Amino acid sequence: MNVDQELVQRVQAGDKKAFDLLIMKYQQRIIHVITGFVHDPVEAMDVAQEAFIKAYRALPNFRGDSAFYTWLYRIAINTSKNHLTASSRRPPMSDVDAMDATNYYDAPELKEFETPENSLMCVQLEEAIQQAIEDLPEETATAIKLREFEGMSYEEIAEAMDCPIGTVRSRIFRAREAIDKQVKSVMGEEE
Amino acid sequence: MAINHLELVSALVDGQLTGSELEQALELIANDNTAREAFMRYQQASDILHGYTRSINLSPLDLTSRISAALNDEPAYSMAIENKSTAKVIRFPQNFWKQATGLAMAASIGALAVVGVVQQQSATNNIPVASVIANEAPATMVSQTSNRWTVAEPEIEDRLNTYLVDHNEYVGASGMFSYGRVVSYGTER
Repeated sequence: MNVDQELVQRVQAGDKKAFDLLIMKYQQRIIHVITGFVHDPVEAMDVAQEAFIKAYRALPNFRGDSAFYTWLYRIAINTSKNHLTASSRRPPMSDVDAMDATNYYDAPELKEFETPENSLMCVQLEEAIQQAIEDLPEETATAIKLREFEGMSYEEIAEAMDCPIGTVRSRIFRAREAIDKQVKSVMGEEE
Repeated sequence: MAINHLELVSALVDGQLTGSELEQALELIANDNTAREAFMRYQQASDILHGYTRSINLSPLDLTSRISAALNDEPAYSMAIENKSTAKVIRFPQNFWKQATGLAMAASIGALAVVGVVQQQSATNNIPVASVIANEAPATMVSQTSNRWTVAEPEIEDRLNTYLVDHNEYVGASGMFSYGRVVSYGTER
């Protein structure tokens, strides 16, 4: 059973805090999807909130036939469309297929809604993260790249790098700490 | 916070924990703000790497407090699940619908057989009745070239038409034809 399934089962068994973790995990992605329909960031946050609340209410009926994120993605799309219809705006004619939901991060239709400030900040952050990864020891950099860019599991990375899973885990953690430091620096949150 | 705890949180971001470690990580996130913040930072870095933050402002995002506040009045689901299970006290046997369908089909076939027998009997019974009528009013009752009754006496005409209307449902395949003749008679009258 994966982490999402575990969390869903916990929510279904009455653990509301488990739902917080699902929100923390997917909020950014869901808002990103919603901004494809609702361009105003504040409005998009409201729609995201509504989508998560709908998901919580529908969770007893979620049987796990699809991945949790795919299911949540569909709710977010429908909530966005309903929001546009309710505010007498026409929803876009096309949207991304739910099958592509997990890879929905670089859709051209979303890029047109980027603000120049966000674009600049994103470029700076991406560059800082790339630099942080380049500065890592080779094995640590390889571990985080295989995880983040190739989507490999710890087990697969361990096999590819010929090392124990525990080592993979600590390498990825060290990479994350280094990246986090760079992100804080760019965003002016240095400790 | 201990490094191994943060390492656990990092593995949780990747969804790579199972069993007791997963339990431990979930407990940490639920009860420890440092772990919670670390989870959000790691998740945010991952989201940046995947470009999810391009369309929204980049300040650390946390909808959880807003949503939790909105869900405060919602019941926790253990109660709902219990209610559901108590509501399912009476259950049909698993193959109930299969059995019911079989019974319904058998009943339909039986009914068709009975109706068929009745119709056949009615058809055979009609012959002597028609003969009786023909005997009572020979030759003048029905024209050979017409589709309608040609009866000299209106009283008999009415009786015959009423007879046909009342009994046409007992006439098998020719029932509609008989009824059609009565109708055509009526319109031409």
